[in-house]
Amino acid sequence: MLDISVEEKEQLKLERLQSTLNRACKNVPFHRKRFLEKNILPEDIVSLKDLTKLPFMDRTHLGTHYPYGLFAVPLRDIVRIHTAPGTGTNPSISGYTRTDLLIWKKLVARSFEAAGVTSLDIIQIHLPPGLANWGRDYKDGGEAMGAGVIPNSPLSLNKTLMVLRDYKTTTLVTTPAFALQLMDHMFDRERNPNELNLKRLILVGEPVEGKLVADLEERLHVDVWLNYGLSEIPGPAIAHECRSHCDTHCCGSHCGLHINDDHILPEIIDPATGTPVPMGEKGELILTTLSARAFPLIRFRTGDMARFVPEPCGCSSPLIKLEWLKERADNMIIISGIKVSLDQVKSTLQKALAVPCPDCTVERIRRDGTETLGISLVMDDVLFSDEIKELQQLISQTEKLLAEQVGVPIKICLVQKRVL
Amino acid sequence: MLRIKNLKCSYGSIVAVHGVSLSVKKGELISIIGANGAGKSTLLLAICGLLKNWEGEIVFQDKDLKGMSPPAIVRSGISMVPEGRQIFSPLSVMDNLKMGAYTMYRKGLKSQVEEDFDMVMEMFPILRERAHQLAGTLSGGEQQMLAIGRALMARPRLLVLDEPSMGLAPKIVEMIFNVITTLQSQGVTILLVEQNARAALKISHRGYVLETGKMVLQGSADELLVDDDVKRAYLGRDYGDFYDGRDA
Repeated sequence: MLDISVEEKEQLKLERLQSTLNRACKNVPFHRKRFLEKNILPEDIVSLKDLTKLPFMDRTHLGTHYPYGLFAVPLRDIVRIHTAPGTGTNPSISGYTRTDLLIWKKLVARSFEAAGVTSLDIIQIHLPPGLANWGRDYKDGGEAMGAGVIPNSPLSLNKTLMVLRDYKTTTLVTTPAFALQLMDHMFDRERNPNELNLKRLILVGEPVEGKLVADLEERLHVDVWLNYGLSEIPGPAIAHECRSHCDTHCCGSHCGLHINDDHILPEIIDPATGTPVPMGEKGELILTTLSARAFPLIRFRTGDMARFVPEPCGCSSPLIKLEWLKERADNMIIISGIKVSLDQVKSTLQKALAVPCPDCTVERIRRDGTETLGISLVMDDVLFSDEIKELQQLISQTEKLLAEQVGVPIKICLVQKRVL
Repeated sequence: MLRIKNLKCSYGSIVAVHGVSLSVKKGELISIIGANGAGKSTLLLAICGLLKNWEGEIVFQDKDLKGMSPPAIVRSGISMVPEGRQIFSPLSVMDNLKMGAYTMYRKGLKSQVEEDFDMVMEMFPILRERAHQLAGTLSGGEQQMLAIGRALMARPRLLVLDEPSMGLAPKIVEMIFNVITTLQSQGVTILLVEQNARAALKISHRGYVLETGKMVLQGSADELLVDDDVKRAYLGRDYGDFYDGRDA
């Protein structure tokens, strides 16, 4: 656990914030321009509260400055580049220097330690391709703390189960969707969870309801720990549950996650006005990186809704706690832990179908344990064709294009207007 | 132990340090690295009360140092080993050490001063041999040992060293850095300003990088040692770089 007093942590945060602003302003024209527009110098930020003087960043900025426009170090210093689907035509990419990787390893190891993982554990990582970047970070973090790690690999459900059992995995890092699929699969085949050595599940990608957690714990005989991450920050273990997390799960994720606020500064704002909400009230989570060298983000709007938990935690960690809520502040939907922009879906549909304004609704479909983005598309006069084969081909091509664009499986159904 | 917030230091109209924040915890060894003119020494001068024209907050053990005189700051527990040693050349080694113990004499702690003489002599045996020699006749390395010894005579809780390796032979530098490590292990908190960034970071817990008066990086020593920016700007190349076949 982080051995630092709250007062020391606040000082450390200010020091890191000021260094980050100095570096960002010096090395990234985008940030420098925004400081100038606000008539602010980095040295004008003399307290953490002063951060509110700075403008927000959002995902569109990442797309606009694709690929390297927001990097704060020369490319020769970058040792890893991650790609996330993004919200527009361009993906959003983030980079790591050697130092970034070192810091990130420590943060991921910290989240493992909070979940009770030790060097004696065997960690298996099973994440969908869209979260493969996080898989690498979890691998590095697990190795850094000396645990045995089975890296992410595209195995079938049966093979994954075989590895879980035969390799004596004690810790599985995965998405809630896969955990559910695994549980259903085992019980469909009347497999006894006691065949496994599994002690804990670390779930990432989306908030989980208390009932699901309780189900997983009871039926798989494991402890469930939730981690919060963001593809853009970049990294999977920005916040984690600690040993004092609610055992009864009466409140879902209400007992909160510790955010690594010594490295990533959180704010909660009213998404409509952009002003900070009172302590304990819900709002949009805003993050500022405090130690990222390659890819500093300043007041990044995550679109995730959260609230700070003001009550002190039983684990006496100095890290701030927040509750991660299911609702969203932006127009996105989470499929298997991957955030999909609905605006991006509509604009891609528009292009692929050559219709000015496609009339559709979207939903998350969970079938046989896998999650798909379901699109119900209204068949209007523009779309209609008396050649069924042509129509099928168009829909199939659109599904492929969309899946490539947003990084999740797509299923388009044509519906009559009255159905919607 | 030491907390600095938004420190701005000026020489007339020239601002040398722009809103720097840093902290040193009890028992830590912290390095500040940076190029010439980055503001490192200015920062130390402000901490020790030798520079008056500063804004911001310097708090040492919950005591605000604003407006305190250098002797009062020494009494509060901060001793400085200045850049270029600044020993009293016309005085003997022993007298230089006595000057360092001035605050102890004033507090009436003469018996402790005797103990401290022995401690310094044990740490730097060469100073015992040179005890009655004029300080100005010592070699550079011996003068640096004397400057450190003089600072230790005030029994500091925070020892501030400004470029202790400057102008010294590599062997002497190694010896001086060993002494710094020993002092830290004995419980003395140390703030070290150093151009020899690699040597400084190797013995430090954490480090800060100053650039044109602004703090641009900080982190644990292991993080800074692998940082490419720091390597390029301050570390130069290590022996390994010449032999591992890369970057020839």
